[in-house]
Amino acid sequence: MADDLAFASIAELGRLLRQKKTSATELANYCLDRLERLGPQLNAVVTLTRERALAEAARADAEIRQGKWRGPLHGIPYGVKDLIATKGYPTTWGAEPYRQQKLETDATIVERLGAAGAVLVAKLAMVELAGGMGYNQANASFTGPGKTPWNTNYWSGGSSSGPGAAVAAGLVPFAIGSETSGSILTPAAYCGATGLRPTYGLVSRHGAMALAWTMDKLGPLARSADDCATVLHVIAGKDPKDPSSVDRGFTVPQEHGSPARFRIGIPKGADKEIQPEVAANFRAALKVLADRVELVEDVELPDLPYGAVAGLIIAAEGASAFDDLLKDGRLSQLTAPEDRTGGYGALAVSAPDYLRALRVRRPMQRALDDFLKKFDALAVPTRTTVATPLDKPFRDGWPGITGGANVIGPTNVVGVPGISVPNGFGVQNLPTGLSFTTRAFDEGKLVTLGRLYQSRTDWHRRQPTLT
Amino acid sequence: MEGMTRRGFAERLALAVAAPYLLDDVPRPALQPRRHQQQQEPSPLAKALAEGIRLRYPDRFSADDLATITRGIDNRLRQIERLYQTALTNADEPDFVYSVYRGAD
Repeated sequence: MADDLAFASIAELGRLLRQKKTSATELANYCLDRLERLGPQLNAVVTLTRERALAEAARADAEIRQGKWRGPLHGIPYGVKDLIATKGYPTTWGAEPYRQQKLETDATIVERLGAAGAVLVAKLAMVELAGGMGYNQANASFTGPGKTPWNTNYWSGGSSSGPGAAVAAGLVPFAIGSETSGSILTPAAYCGATGLRPTYGLVSRHGAMALAWTMDKLGPLARSADDCATVLHVIAGKDPKDPSSVDRGFTVPQEHGSPARFRIGIPKGADKEIQPEVAANFRAALKVLADRVELVEDVELPDLPYGAVAGLIIAAEGASAFDDLLKDGRLSQLTAPEDRTGGYGALAVSAPDYLRALRVRRPMQRALDDFLKKFDALAVPTRTTVATPLDKPFRDGWPGITGGANVIGPTNVVGVPGISVPNGFGVQNLPTGLSFTTRAFDEGKLVTLGRLYQSRTDWHRRQPTLT
Repeated sequence: MEGMTRRGFAERLALAVAAPYLLDDVPRPALQPRRHQQQQEPSPLAKALAEGIRLRYPDRFSADDLATITRGIDNRLRQIERLYQTALTNADEPDFVYSVYRGAD
């Protein structure tokens, strides 16, 4: 099988399957081989799910032979961040204390992908406990620091480090990551993948490790906005096992249904005092869309304590979610030294203060929705720099970068969706990302904007060299 | 950082110190407080709360660990101040809804 198949889209792979030019078993073996051979270079893989993959692939092949076509994910291999429960394999949460943990159930998202005929080939690496203990360096997982396939001296981003690196390196066509605040969009940007963070509640969290129950989201990383949409269509929807899930699905938007022009807000300072290459790529990306967007510069988010609310909620919910680790002292087994003490301070958060944060979040949601409804989307550089070097704490990675607009934080606090698409390269041949953010449940607009951009550029088709 | 309000700086610091890559996309210098803030002694309340944690787990922390925990608490206390600057009334409920349960008869 040609190496460029490693970078084929879901639609292209589906076409090959339907035309019997390949089989699900062949695709599964192909991905398993790449994961086994190249995954260790990136610290991207925790566990190969070989037996399960080959069984699911054989079933898919039998059904396809019989003419039973389940849809666009039928026979397509994928990986999941290792905080998503899967029967028969460890679910480690990236953390030494849970290295042997087996959860004898499939998460709802795995059930839904399985029902669509997708083939699970790997549990992918992640930052320990999804970063909830305050890590400040890339080496924060028992699998070692995640590495971007574009330059393995630099971080893949986190906490969905394995999904970002594995997709970008062509080890899997798509993967499922999670985001509490930045954990899908960051690895998407640092690895040159496309990542979509759905609205809170659109995708069931049942069977996924909880860091902050009221902020955790699961979503796809893939080669393109189109591929993310294909996956989101399958995984979105109400789940009785997750009371926070909502009774809405996601329909892949049609090309002809998109508005002639999108009104795009650019937050004040978005490209000021950030890495020059990141800023240049951002402006170049907007220029690519010039005939289809109306830019509104220097817009300002409502002045509300997003950081305080996020900090309190994640601290309090995280300390409760991992109270067993705090109580018995197993935090000391975590990889990053700062994670070994990072959770204890949350024990000093009072219940009234936590509830205050939840009460403040309600008017915050309304204010941000009123703000976002003025635009089809906000656009920002996903990160203010390219990936940080592996050998330095984050704070020392790119000194002197003091600007940018904080959008990931506020939008995660209120749970609205975002997408990051690759938009070029910066220093050290490292990719940069362009993000769009919309109102709740406007994922269709994100996909349409991402698709429009990717129809005019080829950044998402660039392939890193790994041998 | 020029032109940033004290309130804005506190917000960025709060985001960045709590969990740099989990919480925000603000720049790294937010992690490097100005000199006077670096030297700022944690508040008595932060010290007392940290002491409570030490008493809870008396054999677990080195002096450096406790200093780190104390600084973290101090930063969070400053975040909390901002929460109380947002006006709320008694009728403003938390953003979750408790649902009563009745099983099968």
